[in-house]
Amino acid sequence: MELRDIVSDSRHVKIKSSATVSDALVTMIENKTDFLLIDRDEPNDAYGIVTRWDLVEGPIAHGLDLATTSIMEYARKPLVVMNNLDLDIRWVAKKMANEGVSKIAVFDGESFLGFISDVDVLKAAASKVKKTRGAKK
Amino acid sequence: MSPRSLILKDVVKSFELPVIEREATVSAAIRMMMECNRWSLLVPRKNKTDAYGIVTKKDLITKVVAEGKDPARVKVKDVMSKPLVILTNLSLDIRWVAKAMANSGVSTIVVFDKGDFYGYVTEGCILEGMYNALRRAKLEQGVDFVSC
Repeated sequence: MELRDIVSDSRHVKIKSSATVSDALVTMIENKTDFLLIDRDEPNDAYGIVTRWDLVEGPIAHGLDLATTSIMEYARKPLVVMNNLDLDIRWVAKKMANEGVSKIAVFDGESFLGFISDVDVLKAAASKVKKTRGAKK
Repeated sequence: MSPRSLILKDVVKSFELPVIEREATVSAAIRMMMECNRWSLLVPRKNKTDAYGIVTKKDLITKVVAEGKDPARVKVKDVMSKPLVILTNLSLDIRWVAKAMANSGVSTIVVFDKGDFYGYVTEGCILEGMYNALRRAKLEQGVDFVSC
């Protein structure tokens, strides 16, 4: 199973870097997503990312005022990217472990293919298990 | 003076890293670093679906020397970082290049331009870029830059 087999979804929701944590929470729930891409302010800026876990672990767990806390304090910036589509998913998982992230942006040359998440890796691993079980029967 | 005006393209260097086999020992890696005068070595992949690895001076120091291991017995594959940390946006502000290094804890980042290999950026490249920008700013102010 390779990276190209598990990249499928390029859907993502953007949010401004000036947004607060409560804005981000509302946007996440309204769009039924677990991460938000933080837009860049200038051409040389980097994109950022904030996940559901970042919000739970940071501002919510610390009991901060969500309406005044800026999203940028808990965002991860710059993005973790991969561009080798032939890579085995083992190395995708390793990359997530090394960097401590759950979302990786995948590019093919210049074009953006989408984000892969830890759930995608798990699904791929699960389908592998199913296949080998089916072969045994 | 402001380091903010620097972007990745200003500091990235295009050179080829020396290649070392994954089964080689750490002493061989140290020797190769000294001979080639580079502080990172590329570890090639076994097949198409494998990932490239990289072994740097920091890996050798923190994972071999500091642990009291024998460099002649430890193999490169046990201390290398794999897969590579990459950046693909050449117009990225240098701040985020440094941040990417800090986030992932590596000292060498591989840079790709539109899917093609472009070069490497290391801690040294960033410092050098900042130094050059500083010197340019001083010269523009008409102050003679005193180098140490």
